Amino acid sequence: MNRSMAWTVTIVFGVLILIPSMLGFMMKFGELVELTKGVSDGGGFAITPVVNYLLASLGFFCLLLWAALNGMFRDLEQPKYLMLENERELDANV
Amino acid sequence: MTTATIATDHKIAVHTELVDESIVKWYFYAALLFLTTSMLAGILVSLQLIQHNPFTGIEIFSPGRWRMVHTNAVAYGFLANGFLGCLHWAIPRLTLHPVLDKRLSWFIYAAWQFVVGATAVGILFGEAQGLEWGETPVWIDPLAQVGLLLVAINFMTPIARMKGPMYVSLWYFLAAFIWTFLTYAMGNFIPEYFVSGTSAGAVGGLFIHDLVGLFVTPLGWGLMYYFVPILIKKPIWSHGLSLVGFWGLAFFYPLQGIHHFLYTPIPMFLQYGAVVSTIAVELVVTTVIINFFGSIWGNWSIVRTNLPVRYFYTGMVFYFLTCLQCSFQVTLTFQKIIHFSDWVVGHAHMVMFGVFSMWIMGMMTYLFPRLLKREWASQNLIEWHYWLSTVGLAVMAADLILLGLFQGWSWAALEPWDASTDFSFPFWVLRTIAGLAMFGGLLALLTNIWKTVKLAPAKA
Ligand code: HEM
Repeated sequence: MNRSMAWTVTIVFGVLILIPSMLGFMMKFGELVELTKGVSDGGGFAITPVVNYLLASLGFFCLLLWAALNGMFRDLEQPKYLMLENERELDANV
Repeated sequence: MTTATIATDHKIAVHTELVDESIVKWYFYAALLFLTTSMLAGILVSLQLIQHNPFTGIEIFSPGRWRMVHTNAVAYGFLANGFLGCLHWAIPRLTLHPVLDKRLSWFIYAAWQFVVGATAVGILFGEAQGLEWGETPVWIDPLAQVGLLLVAINFMTPIARMKGPMYVSLWYFLAAFIWTFLTYAMGNFIPEYFVSGTSAGAVGGLFIHDLVGLFVTPLGWGLMYYFVPILIKKPIWSHGLSLVGFWGLAFFYPLQGIHHFLYTPIPMFLQYGAVVSTIAVELVVTTVIINFFGSIWGNWSIVRTNLPVRYFYTGMVFYFLTCLQCSFQVTLTFQKIIHFSDWVVGHAHMVMFGVFSMWIMGMMTYLFPRLLKREWASQNLIEWHYWLSTVGLAVMAADLILLGLFQGWSWAALEPWDASTDFSFPFWVLRTIAGLAMFGGLLALLTNIWKTVKLAPAKA
């Protein structure tokens, strides 16, 4: 698969799957927040863990973007060879 | 990585300058001390359940407290110390840079032993915080939090100094340092000071869940991605697939926490969301398993001849089994039966001992001879350690998992509670016997270390 084809497939999948799911989730979550405003036992306690999750995931999403933009995933298999080569050299140097 | 970077990195690539071997060794000794304490505590609690507690009536020996010592000593004393020792070996060798400061490493070492030791003493004297897995007395929490920050700084510096694409282990380590810090803060401070009631319960559940998935799992997998290839002398089957596993864990794992709250007042869309994301993680786990089995494919005889590799792959089989269990456990149908039963205790031992302890034991079996500069004094004893641990654990897990089903069915049939404790009795006796076998395995290891240090001649 060439690069532009790969991008097209990614974007199509993104639009078809991720965006509707995200919208659905946000709407439902918004409803929950609205419903539980001022109610003490309406399931609102779930909001804290979900917000925790969203914040942590946002951080990791930024890390993913940073890694991709810095070429971390350009030659995907190279690090595994380099790691073994380094190990051999370190042991040879002892 | 460019050729120039490799050249600069290689200038300092001398093992003795990178790795402080004595701290690795001392972390292992501390880990084994806490494992011994924890196992003795486990045996005490199991004796209580079969009405043979030798210390009945003595407050500081009350089984409720020793149960907390059992779990805390194993998680923070054994697993954390074991991992920290291995990280002091793996990170400098992977990055070709030493940790930020070796004196800081020793400071953290001493502080961590204080934290875990004080936790055990605090629990025994009735000072436990009312949070499962976070029983560390409240006055120790800030100290532990600072300790975790220092660990992160000390290890993340060499990772940050490295240039070029990172090997998958480093991704896992990097994430584990951030996650552990955040998870500890969330679990220990939010329910204590900011929220109460059901909210605190929800955060507490997420905390337990994330401790396994975001502290123990990434460190375990990261170390396996490092040690397996160097021992089987073959690169991992697919580095790309390993990265899929890492990012899958990062995005799907944290949301699963709510699967501990099926049938609670939490809205159903969140419960279903947790179920779906758990199933997504099962797929992620499958990619990891495929990768490791793909790596060793065609070279299976090494599992027989190389004990550390055998430990690693035994742990992987148990990992596969626990995750398979998870995919059943996460369904609402299954939850009805197994919740609150001994199934969960069986599951917990299978994952904590069968997987992560097995991996740590494998790494210790490989590293001790290198650290002590001599071969194991007794090959027989290391084999005994492996077999007693593996068979003991397999029997304990099977026994408790089966018992859990019987208990669940009995409760569902509305039989009297006493009926379930009566038929549980022989299963609990078998658990004690299996636990004694596992403890026997540990004694074999300790004897072997003692003999190796004292008796065996050093390698020329
Ligand atoms: C000598 C071997 C061991 C024995 C006899 C033993 C026994 C026990 C007992 C009796 C409990 C309490 C169960 C209950 O409340 O009904 C327990 C809980 C637990 N043990 Fe062990 N244990 C042993 C080794 C280990 C090891 C080595 C680990 C981890 C590496 C471990 C991890 C756990 C965990 C995570 C729990 C909490 C389970 C839960 O809350 O569901 N145990 N153990």
